Amino acid sequence: MQGLAELVPMSTEWLYLAAAVLFIVGIRDLSSAETARRGNLLAACGMILAIVGTMQHGLIVQWGWIVVGMVAGGVIGLVMAVFMPMTAMPERIAIVNGLGGAASGLVGICEVIRHVTPEGTYASGFSSFHVGVAGLEIMLGAMTFTGSMVAFGKLRGLISTRPMTYPFQNVVNIGWLLVMLYLIVGLVVGSLDPVFFFVLAGMALLFGVMFVLPIGGADMPVVIAMLNAYSGLAAAATGFVLSNKVLIIAGALDGSSGLLLSLLMCRAMNRSLTNVLFGAVGGSGGSAQFSGGELQGDPQSISTVEAAERLFDARRVIIVPGYGMAAAGAQFAIREIADVLKERGISVKYAIHPVAGRMPGHMNVLLADANVPYDDLVEMEEINPEFAETDVALVMGANDICNPAARTAVGSPIYGMPILDVDKAAQVIVIKRSMSPGFAGIPNELFVAPNCAMLFGDGKQVAEQLIETLSL
Amino acid sequence: MKVVVPRELAAGETRVAATPRTVKRMDRAGLVVHIESGAGTASGITDLEFREAGATIVADRADLLSGSEIVLCVRPPDSETIDQIPSAAVLIAVLDPMIEHAVVDQLAARNISAFSLDMVPRIARAQSMDVLSSMSTLTGYQAVLLAAMALPGVMPYLTTAAGTLHPCKVLVLGAGVAGLQAIATARRLGALVWGYDIRPVVKEQVESLGAEFLELIDTSAASEDAGGYAKEQSQDQAARQQQAMTEHLAQMDAVITTALIPGRPAPILLTTEMVEAMKPGSVIVDLAAERGGNCELTKPGENFTSDSGVTILGPLHLHCSVPAHASLMYANNVANFLLHMCRDGQIDVESEDEVVCGTLVTRGGEVVHERVLAAREATES
Repeated sequence: MQGLAELVPMSTEWLYLAAAVLFIVGIRDLSSAETARRGNLLAACGMILAIVGTMQHGLIVQWGWIVVGMVAGGVIGLVMAVFMPMTAMPERIAIVNGLGGAASGLVGICEVIRHVTPEGTYASGFSSFHVGVAGLEIMLGAMTFTGSMVAFGKLRGLISTRPMTYPFQNVVNIGWLLVMLYLIVGLVVGSLDPVFFFVLAGMALLFGVMFVLPIGGADMPVVIAMLNAYSGLAAAATGFVLSNKVLIIAGALDGSSGLLLSLLMCRAMNRSLTNVLFGAVGGSGGSAQFSGGELQGDPQSISTVEAAERLFDARRVIIVPGYGMAAAGAQFAIREIADVLKERGISVKYAIHPVAGRMPGHMNVLLADANVPYDDLVEMEEINPEFAETDVALVMGANDICNPAARTAVGSPIYGMPILDVDKAAQVIVIKRSMSPGFAGIPNELFVAPNCAMLFGDGKQVAEQLIETLSL
Repeated sequence: MKVVVPRELAAGETRVAATPRTVKRMDRAGLVVHIESGAGTASGITDLEFREAGATIVADRADLLSGSEIVLCVRPPDSETIDQIPSAAVLIAVLDPMIEHAVVDQLAARNISAFSLDMVPRIARAQSMDVLSSMSTLTGYQAVLLAAMALPGVMPYLTTAAGTLHPCKVLVLGAGVAGLQAIATARRLGALVWGYDIRPVVKEQVESLGAEFLELIDTSAASEDAGGYAKEQSQDQAARQQQAMTEHLAQMDAVITTALIPGRPAPILLTTEMVEAMKPGSVIVDLAAERGGNCELTKPGENFTSDSGVTILGPLHLHCSVPAHASLMYANNVANFLLHMCRDGQIDVESEDEVVCGTLVTRGGEVVHERVLAAREATES
């Protein structure tokens, strides 16, 4: 029989294991809107177990500060959860990521201070492995913190959402990163004094800012996911420094899910991660590569949930299909969206531009295939006066046929072409794979108009997600 | 300005260059429209309808043309009619100027400003004037109906108590406007549809209509050079592609060919051997028959069955078999073009506008269109 004293450290391990399982199951549940609530709850339970396990550890010197921290953190969390609107979710995630990173960075600094002897060497038990991991932890934590704060500022509009660029930006950033990695190596092999940990922390703080500033507002969700991955890695590094298994597990989960999420988002926007992170180089291209002409301002990107909310708040909706709908095969999904909206008593019509698609009658053929009633299809001249009284114009993969440049830009290849007056609707939601221009090869001012929101992604997938959200 | 619309005289031509709706639009723009009596009969439009829309009906062609400033036609007028058109008048028609040199010369000699709507630049804002596109829409649709009528079976997949009818397999060669419309129509009739084009970029467009894109060996980026032009294919590659195409053709019940090169004879896509490899009872509809045909065996204007039992249809001016819609679309194209040029009831043939310049063939007694001139040089040398 074992004594209770011997069981206590054991129970910490058991609690950590249970927490890890709950984290994994929770993340799996997050992959579908139906189970996401349960997933969140499971992960929260896991977190409680992890905290309880840590408190049992027996290494705690002083309970006072822990209680203060828990109360302060709990109150802030509660306030955020209750009062922050769903639409501010990206900002909230940015803050949480940033604070997570900051916590990791601070723990790293504390650990270093705790283990450095007055002579500038490390105490026994703090091996060169620990030094390296602590270095990574401090670097990742610090850059996550400042990067998240910049991302938060951009999302809130406190900082200009336009990409800020200067010549050789990428070279400077990569050079900066290499210098930081060199510092870590120097610290590990012992050629650098431990005081360089602080230099490293300072450089990383600056790097976070430098890294996020050149990225446009529309790409912020990807950046947030990346920062999420970094804060996860920082937490995992903390786990190694503290020899805490649950931190390693949770950090690794966080890191990998963040990276996967950012890759998925990039794929949905039809861009590569490199393009998002380093795409704004030189300042000539803007946030997306436009050929000919530049757009003033940045597109505003929204989530499916927000789009669904706006559709539900509408009384009149006009759907504007284009070649993108055809290419994605989204006509059935579009009809389902219309059905859901109609059930709610919202009026839904389709505006068919005479040159929408790549052949005459392209939209008619496809929408008829999806059993859209012919009465709902309205020709351009007839529907144009109605846009002014329309609450939401849902543009599905259409571009040139709703480009206001056709009215104003003399000399543009589409100048003088009659267009759908989509921009006159109170709210425009554009479902599109990327910001790339349409057939005529010219950028579309509509996408950066104040009443326009971009819902990036493959037409069919986005439409199906919309149906899912609308049917909840 | 006096706008006149003569009756079309060409054999088999059923279209008319105006409809009551376009007459009203021209009238509102300050143009005075005169229409030859019976011009709309073949399209189901009576003189009365034209008159109610605001046009003056004229019985005699010479009366009609005297003093006319703008002449709207479908086909190029015969030489007698051209001689009656006043000097410096504007003619809008489909002239096929890269090939029909004689008509163009006569128009130039008569000092007529001739616009040929088959030369409209293929840009987004000119699409409402693009005659080739609107007529191809109709021929693409009609081609599938012809094929369906000529087939020994029906198109859709039907599982019945009296046995299962397997769906007809249709291959559409060339995915331009006519090809895409043919794909869409065949799909809607229930056939299994494949599309093929030498431009791999149209794969997505073919697939957007629910058809499969036929991948012959190596149609990828390799077939385009840096400038985006089709590369000269090596003989070996071409032979392998032909082999692959022959194998696909043997599976098909109907093949619709739509490949045209502007101002040139149609490219041969189906050789005699390929047709021989096809199933007896299968059908080829050659929409390029007017330009000699995409199939070696095609007899333009004739329908026949080959020795191996393949029915080959070579219809000419297929859009003329749906005159009401063909006239509606054509007349709209004409009116869109005319009103695009028209400012305050006057038209400016000197305009620098890309659409106007690109369509103008003769002016001031000379042939002015660059591509038309280039085509002449090519034939002369």
